Amino acid sequence: MSDKKITKSRFWFEEHEVETISEVPNKKIKPWASDAKLDVVGKPISRIDGPDKVSGRAKYTFDRLLPDTAIAKTLRCPFPHARIKKIDFSKALKLPGVLAVITNEDAPSIPWFHESTLFDSHARYQGDEIACVAAENEAIAEAALKLIDVEYEKLAFVSSAAQGMKNNTPKLYDSGNIHHGKPTIYQRGDAVSGFKEADVIVEDTFTTQCAVHNPLEPHGSLVKWDSDHLTVWDSTQSVFGVRGKVAESLGIPENNVRIIKQYMGGGFGSKLEAGKYTVMAALLAKKLKRPVKIVMDRQEMNLAMGNRPDSTQTIKAGVKKDGTISALSQKSFGAAGAYPSGTGTSWPLRSMYQCPNIYTEEYTVFINAGPGRPFRAPGHVQGTFAFESLLEQAAAKIKMDPLEFRIKNYAEIDQVGNVPYTSKRLRECYELGAKAIGWNKRNKIAGSGKGSIRHGIGMASQIWWGGGGPPAKATMKLTADGQLQVFSGTQDLGTGSYTFIAMVAAEVLEIPMDKIKVVLGDTEICPYAPGSGGSVTAPSVSPAIRDAAEQMKYKLLSFAAVLSHEPIENMRYKNGVITSVNMSSTKYKIEDLVGKLSEKEIVTHGDREANPEGMAIQTFGAQFADVDVDMDTGKIKVNRMVAAHDIGRMLNRKLLENQFHGGIIQGMSFALLEERVIDNNTGKVLSTNLHDYKIPTIADIPEIEVIIASDSDPKISNTGVKGIGEPAIIPTAGAIANAVYNAIGVQVKDLPMTPDKVLKALGNA
Amino acid sequence: MNTFEYLQPKSIDEAQNNFNEKSRLFAGGTDVLGLLKDHIESPEKLINLKNIPGLDKIEYVQGSGLKIGSMVKISAIAQHPLIREKYTVLAEAAESVASPQLRNVGTLGGNLCQRPRCWYFRGDFPCLRKDGGECFAVDGENKYHCIIGGEACYIVHPSDTAVALLALDAKIKISSNGKIKEVPVNDFFILPGDDILRENILQPGEVVTEVFIPEPKANMVSRYLKFTERGSWDFAIVSVAAVIEKSVNTIQNARIVWGGVAPKPWQDLEFNKNLQGLKISEDILKKVTSTLFEKAEPLEHNGYKVPLVKNLTKKILLQIA
Repeated sequence: MSDKKITKSRFWFEEHEVETISEVPNKKIKPWASDAKLDVVGKPISRIDGPDKVSGRAKYTFDRLLPDTAIAKTLRCPFPHARIKKIDFSKALKLPGVLAVITNEDAPSIPWFHESTLFDSHARYQGDEIACVAAENEAIAEAALKLIDVEYEKLAFVSSAAQGMKNNTPKLYDSGNIHHGKPTIYQRGDAVSGFKEADVIVEDTFTTQCAVHNPLEPHGSLVKWDSDHLTVWDSTQSVFGVRGKVAESLGIPENNVRIIKQYMGGGFGSKLEAGKYTVMAALLAKKLKRPVKIVMDRQEMNLAMGNRPDSTQTIKAGVKKDGTISALSQKSFGAAGAYPSGTGTSWPLRSMYQCPNIYTEEYTVFINAGPGRPFRAPGHVQGTFAFESLLEQAAAKIKMDPLEFRIKNYAEIDQVGNVPYTSKRLRECYELGAKAIGWNKRNKIAGSGKGSIRHGIGMASQIWWGGGGPPAKATMKLTADGQLQVFSGTQDLGTGSYTFIAMVAAEVLEIPMDKIKVVLGDTEICPYAPGSGGSVTAPSVSPAIRDAAEQMKYKLLSFAAVLSHEPIENMRYKNGVITSVNMSSTKYKIEDLVGKLSEKEIVTHGDREANPEGMAIQTFGAQFADVDVDMDTGKIKVNRMVAAHDIGRMLNRKLLENQFHGGIIQGMSFALLEERVIDNNTGKVLSTNLHDYKIPTIADIPEIEVIIASDSDPKISNTGVKGIGEPAIIPTAGAIANAVYNAIGVQVKDLPMTPDKVLKALGNA
Repeated sequence: MNTFEYLQPKSIDEAQNNFNEKSRLFAGGTDVLGLLKDHIESPEKLINLKNIPGLDKIEYVQGSGLKIGSMVKISAIAQHPLIREKYTVLAEAAESVASPQLRNVGTLGGNLCQRPRCWYFRGDFPCLRKDGGECFAVDGENKYHCIIGGEACYIVHPSDTAVALLALDAKIKISSNGKIKEVPVNDFFILPGDDILRENILQPGEVVTEVFIPEPKANMVSRYLKFTERGSWDFAIVSVAAVIEKSVNTIQNARIVWGGVAPKPWQDLEFNKNLQGLKISEDILKKVTSTLFEKAEPLEHNGYKVPLVKNLTKKILLQIA
């Protein structure tokens, strides 16, 4: 049962298909049946880290401090584009309490981002790292930054992707501002002839803004050297990812680096990779022979810690009178910022609905602004808004109910890979969601309502990967006191990993949750698990936990069989007690069994199995929005959101609702509020704090209903779980936009849909 | 933040005697701390007014009016039963300020004397209001800027309570060199054309001590309507304060004041006059508001504030009727 094999497996992480080679179980554990009656898994159990968090005991990276820790702050380029001519930090070093300064002149030249280095004399955006200071405290470090004299040669800059698309604009790289010098093209069938088959063609351009992750807990690290070993407490979504990058940057073996992350205040993708700050802190700590802590402030968060690239998407759809989509095309571009980042938005168009003829052409453009990073369903949030908005136009044009139109073009198989889905319950999502929102109460003709407050209902569909895959590992240790420890190198971003892991173990071993201790986010003591992005954590890790727990159960049964001189088939396991079907006197509590062993522990090691070959694993869903639009002010009020999704097996109803609420609120905020604003005249960012960068308050939050249309997807893994982190946010902006259209009869094609734009769309401003 | 000396005087005299040109008065601090952290102001001396007795009282004298000390918390104004009943517009304006946390710390005096929120002024831009060389908003990102009253600088005044107080015909008491002077709210605030470096008439060392609001007429009703992009903790895109004396549904006297549109709380005396004697109805209000802000000169991105002014004014007058 515990035999392993090395195999290849494929799965999607964010927008990339990855092929892994890893050790997986030789014999797959039989998946829980779709209708299996589970005792723990699926139940609304409160998160086990809840008491720590509400009492303030939980230690986030931000809270950690070691004796004798120096505080580091970063000097960042104040201009959008500049070359450093000279740095003089002698005055800073003279300030009492300043311990060290590192710059491009004395730090090792460590490759980072594309053609640049850790400290690059060519600063490509306002926020690029120029120097890093360590001091006795934060105030001194900040004061020291002001004493560093930097002579810059200011360079002409590019402040928008539209500008960067033109010839003769200032260049960030010698090779030009379009990444790879050419667009990314995808084709299926023949779009040109597909459009000829159409009875109706709709085409329009939609734009989405640059949005910033702004997790509650800022990025930051605490680092400490012990001889040539480095320990890093980091606010990260990927302890193993950070370990690799930090070790490589410092030129030391990975085993000399230990990354620890216990609790975290959100990530959303910006914390998937190692930050320059971690390496800068490590260099300073080495120099000082003291621990160094570095934490970003809110301005740095808004300038330099990543963003969701903006987009300009021109989409065309050819539709037959009966509603069949005959062709789709998309030409789009987006601003990567100063360093490479994916800006593609066409995946929903390629994969959401049945369509034989597709052409997409996408440009990633470098501009002098903060680098883009994966942000909760990269590309899909922007793409779904634009694509689903255009489909709304198409449905109106052929006078078809928008939901009926989508069902008409339901994709039965994955057309990108031309393979079947492991499961797809989108029809059920449509049905349940439409019922819950009251779809029949929508305006049959958009904008046909009366009065100064117009009511509208709209929807959008969602597709995403989120199936996970190997490698993801867990080690389990059962001790003679009946306590179970579970170790896995995944991490809990605040999403509830600690809890679902304990639940899966409790389900298999039938022991109470409070006997289970879960240890995550430590590269030194936990076996490998992937970075927590791409909605892969639960679908990758939960089967490994089950694998380890089933092995534990098997070992216990075998041991009991040996002790009672009976075949293992006669042994029965229930609630942590093993009995024999034949001998009523045979009864072993699992802790007693472990106690009989000299080592006083049983250890097992579980792995995520390989994904099925020749099948596509996708999550699906549909969200429905109910909105009011004030015709006098242009204000959109989202009254209610219904989210109906196919996410395989639900692990925990409470955690699931948490994630959906977060995703929908973030999606609504993207639709209505958030925007990074750059001043085009100076190339500088104006929205560098949480007053000017508007995230929603409790007063803005709609009522949210979450419906799960799936029971399980046993083809994926032994737990049948798909991810939910990203599906939750993908269709929200599209659903709201379509509800707004239903209310007022015109589309707002530019996110965020702020009152000024709504008034303009209405012809009132 | 730069280092500074921190004083906690026990009297206004002591505060003023210690004041020099590098000093900064400090009330609730919700704005001043931000100004210091963002290096918009770098005073050498911070003079906290909190320990001066007598500035945190609300006192009503029947037949005369209401006195509110400058150190009264915004939340205390919002919750005060008499203010809610008799000076509804002020209670509503106070309630619309920022967030509950900020209202529990921020004071009336501080709210009136807060600096503008223009993101160029608050950011790393050497703008005219910081004695720099240019206004970056005039041809920059100006969707939140003023549509009237701007001259070289296009800030809007951020205070909600100021808008309500002007509509209530309030007066502001200022302690100046041991003397008390009293000025109408409208004369307290100034335009960039008067002095681009300040938003009000306060001279260095002068302290706002109290606001006086006259007794309302028995037939007075008042409301405050604030329009923001976000549900809470946001400054006004446009706000309207309406103080109306009416008989049945006819307006006898009206004082309408707008926030979010100009560098100071803005009123249009002619409009107030035009409202006199009008019967409140949707059609009539639509007509009288249609010509509002004809003299406005919107910038590239803030023209939408003009229809907002008209629609919100109509809305508040309908609500009040």
